[in-house]
Amino acid sequence: MSNIIEVKGLKKDFGHLHVLKGIDEAIAEKEVVCIIGPSGSGKSTFLRCLNRLEIPTEGEIIVDGAVLSEKNENEIRMEMGMVFQQFNLFPHMSVLDNITIGPIEVKGVDKETAKKTAMSLLERVGLADKADAYPSSLSGGQKQRAAIARTLAMNPKIILFDEPTSALDPEMVGEVLDVMKGLAHSGMTLVIVTHEMGFAKEVADRVLFMDEGYIIEQGTPDEIFNHPKADRTKSFLSKVL
Amino acid sequence: MDLYFEGFLVALQGAPMTIGVSLIAIIAGVILGLILALMKLSGSKPLRAVSTCYIEIIRGTPMVVQALILAYGLPQLLQSNGIEFRWPYLIIPAVIVCGCNSGAYVAEVIRSGIQAVDKGQMEAARSLGMTKSKAMRLIIIPQALKIVLPAFGNEFVSLIKETSLLSYVGVVEILRKGALWNAATFNTFQAYIGVALVYMLLTIPLSKLIKYFEGRMATDKDLTEKEAKYLEKEAANA
Repeated sequence: MSNIIEVKGLKKDFGHLHVLKGIDEAIAEKEVVCIIGPSGSGKSTFLRCLNRLEIPTEGEIIVDGAVLSEKNENEIRMEMGMVFQQFNLFPHMSVLDNITIGPIEVKGVDKETAKKTAMSLLERVGLADKADAYPSSLSGGQKQRAAIARTLAMNPKIILFDEPTSALDPEMVGEVLDVMKGLAHSGMTLVIVTHEMGFAKEVADRVLFMDEGYIIEQGTPDEIFNHPKADRTKSFLSKVL
Repeated sequence: MDLYFEGFLVALQGAPMTIGVSLIAIIAGVILGLILALMKLSGSKPLRAVSTCYIEIIRGTPMVVQALILAYGLPQLLQSNGIEFRWPYLIIPAVIVCGCNSGAYVAEVIRSGIQAVDKGQMEAARSLGMTKSKAMRLIIIPQALKIVLPAFGNEFVSLIKETSLLSYVGVVEILRKGALWNAATFNTFQAYIGVALVYMLLTIPLSKLIKYFEGRMATDKDLTEKEAKYLEKEAANA
């Protein structure tokens, strides 16, 4: 398998704070990678560097063979969707419009086609009856599923998930994870920052454990969860499992 | 009592002028204010500097002084340099000054509205591949305008009162009508009471109207008309 994302010498500072201290990583096509680690370890910053929502201080990101820069960021973002912790649905638009605005405005898809695609995506995430609803009338789980549909509408090769279930009430976590499991099995490349260890164990091809701005350890879910090598991984897992 | 009523009626004749100037000025002000706000939030330093300078100058000087400079000062300057220039109607510099003024105030209002929109909105739009300007136009500005709509109403109310300054540059609006009537009849008290009543007639209902809309927006925070219709339909089905 070829690498769809390559990260070389990635560093990110916020003022005097060194959040990422040097990351080299490659993610293969169709791979499902879960990133775990304590709060403040740089997981989300790493993810946000991948689509240039955060601009790296040093190092480069190569997506599908192209070095990510200000010039090609919009094209690369069309290929690389993102799902946020806080959903970030557009509150002034219906669910349907939230989903069609990307394809129509960015890809130039005609309205009828965009609407058809959107309806089938809503079907897929179980929200077909909410097409005309506004985000304010949806539950957290419904909002996140709508946000996933919005991302899917761009037909991306890669989707980045930034703690997609952390803002949800516990009883709604399952419905979102189910949708994500479906995506994992569909052969899409997924990079998921998560605190859901059970989900990571079940779905990930590979798990990265991050702490203090480094990837401390990585491996298959079995290697990381059942046979961790690094002390920091062990102590983190002993607290969360 | 008759004299008071007459004073009121005289001042009322100036109302169309006051309302007209205020309306044109607020429309120009919103357009200008939006441009200035976007300049002030842009990444370009020169654009930011121009916008900041403009806003500081306009807000830092009294409107009546600006009106005097534009209506009388500018033609005098041009004439003394041999350029024949006179305002065909004094209402032209009057409207320009009011529009420029309200632009500076509205710019600050819109800027605060744009900054009040959650930054996740811009991130979500950019992550779909939208350019910054497209994200502004489709996602941020519609939400910002909704947030600041009540502030526009208040700006309109204060603009109506501020146009009274235009009587200094010869625009025959409410105050000027009253002042002329006073000069002709010496009913000074009745004339200015009449003027005050006409302003109240305009501003109080308008303020009430704004309060009403503000109240409605507070109860169903991010509901537009379309949303409200949807919810009604839902309620009817249930």
